[in-house]
Amino acid sequence: MAKDRLTEVLERYEAVIGLEIHTEITATNTKMFCGCPVEFGGEPNSRVCPVCMGMPGALPVPNKAAIEWTVLAGLATECKIAPWSQFHRKNYFYPDMPKDYQISQYDLPFCADGRVVIDVDEDGVEERLDRETADNVTITDDGYAAEIGITRIHLEEDTAKMIHIGGAEGRIAGAKKSLVDFNRAGTPLMELVTEPDLRTPEEARRFAQKLRLIWLALGVSDCSMEEGSMRVDANISLRNHGDTELGTKTELKNINSFKSLHDGLAYEIVRQAAILDEGGRIIQETRHYDVTSKVTSALRSKEEAHDYRYFPEPDMVPFQFDEAFVARIRERLPELPDARKARFIREYGLPTFDAKVLTSDHEMVEFYEEAVAAAGVKNAKAVSNMVLNDLSAYLNTSGLGVLETKVSPQHIAELVGLIDDGTISSKQAKEVFTFMTESGDMPAAIVEQKGMKQVSDAGAIESVVEKLMVQFPDKVAEYQGGKKGLIGFFVGQVMREMQGQANPQVVNQVLADKLDNA
Amino acid sequence: MSLSKEEVRHVALLARLGLDDDQIERLEGELNAILDHINQISQLDLDAVEPTTRSIPVVNAMREDVVRPGFDREMALLNAPDREDGAIVIPRIVGPGGGDQ
Repeated sequence: MAKDRLTEVLERYEAVIGLEIHTEITATNTKMFCGCPVEFGGEPNSRVCPVCMGMPGALPVPNKAAIEWTVLAGLATECKIAPWSQFHRKNYFYPDMPKDYQISQYDLPFCADGRVVIDVDEDGVEERLDRETADNVTITDDGYAAEIGITRIHLEEDTAKMIHIGGAEGRIAGAKKSLVDFNRAGTPLMELVTEPDLRTPEEARRFAQKLRLIWLALGVSDCSMEEGSMRVDANISLRNHGDTELGTKTELKNINSFKSLHDGLAYEIVRQAAILDEGGRIIQETRHYDVTSKVTSALRSKEEAHDYRYFPEPDMVPFQFDEAFVARIRERLPELPDARKARFIREYGLPTFDAKVLTSDHEMVEFYEEAVAAAGVKNAKAVSNMVLNDLSAYLNTSGLGVLETKVSPQHIAELVGLIDDGTISSKQAKEVFTFMTESGDMPAAIVEQKGMKQVSDAGAIESVVEKLMVQFPDKVAEYQGGKKGLIGFFVGQVMREMQGQANPQVVNQVLADKLDNA
Repeated sequence: MSLSKEEVRHVALLARLGLDDDQIERLEGELNAILDHINQISQLDLDAVEPTTRSIPVVNAMREDVVRPGFDREMALLNAPDREDGAIVIPRIVGPGGGDQ
């Protein structure tokens, strides 16, 4: 869809977007209410017990670690931790939940009233038309920052996994039968609900990405959208600019990537606008975004509204968390992405751009930190250059992830060290880098093996320069006649003579000295 | 506040209970008797009384995050009417329902 169509619609309507993000807590050893292990995949129904299969008489007991992780997640998103909380039963009939209720939380969740600040830059900035005036927006050097309210984070149990057989694309429509696997059932599941503070598809994407980075920094989940350990649903409605009442919303579900979140919302905004433009009414419904056809379509409409009849879970007692408990969890808070970005700028002297790109990828930033630890803070910028240029380029062409290559942080640190102490030139380092990706050998060993050591000995370079001056008397004359740019020609010739092993700084010095004083 | 027959049918559907007209009639009376009782309690001034959802004064009952043995697979599938590749087979899903997962 054309981007300007979205912008055109956003000029006439304000989009109001709220997200519901489910994240499986994969950091615990066991499930939410039983001692079955938490893992991904495996043979169907191989990690189950009477509790997570909903057998009559089984007694669920809450996992202390899962609750502590949820409180930690709340603290990381500036939520208030409820002094009094409890689980509720959410009643509904579906084969993924054989008790016929899900243990969840209702009016007394563990965490409420938090906030996350998102940064929007590049193309996304233009989507937010009121960025200069909106209350929750601050203009920054390269875009804007927006504060997004967190309504609540509650904890519940994940459902069983169902595979629908006989329908299109494994969907339920048209399916002849379904297969149920209870391995996932009972996995601790955090649900975070935002305030309807998001105004553009880009903000929704940035929020989901930021939240994922925060969760990864905490280590609470592996946050894999493909494997379903992080699942994003989006509510979207339109209204006229200046209105305070919300329009009728639709809900986008089964979004399996950040791009789909953005594109699905963009499609939905344009679709709703077309209906409103014709004087039509938006039907409140759940819709699915199909990545192939790039359109949303209504999921089978529910024949009646949900009526979950929540009531306090009688199998469990409430939770009363005092300040000492919260303080103890707070001590576990690691450095979060924003703080880390600020530290890179402050202590490592990195440009904002470097700091931002490095901290926007959890694996990359951990890799970078390890390399800096090995190379020393004085080389932080050089390490950043190598990670963002050489390593990123290699990852792009190879299609590998940061942790999947033969290049470790120690490789990077050693290579930067070799440039720093003058053993090799930056140009030679690029060659070493390529050898390194192929063999996984350490840079010092490669330099040794290939005889790539940089020649910094002025005497050796001087003799080459003297030879060249005899060889190219015309060029020397032209240089001395004022064509100073010819120094580049001489540098090239020296490098060629010395198989690229001459130290470029020394070459420049020697050349300037010899040519100017000849 | 009292329940109509229609509301009794709705509640029966939510609970997936198949009730005939006689049963609906009887339950309408029984449920309304319970609601009358609740309505009487609602007349009282209970502002100073904490809602009671549990009869024992215990909080924070949790377990440590330690793996315990569960079912072996054969046991887990013993009651399944049909199975395929270790999964429980269920017939085509029809009608309303479904959580928000």
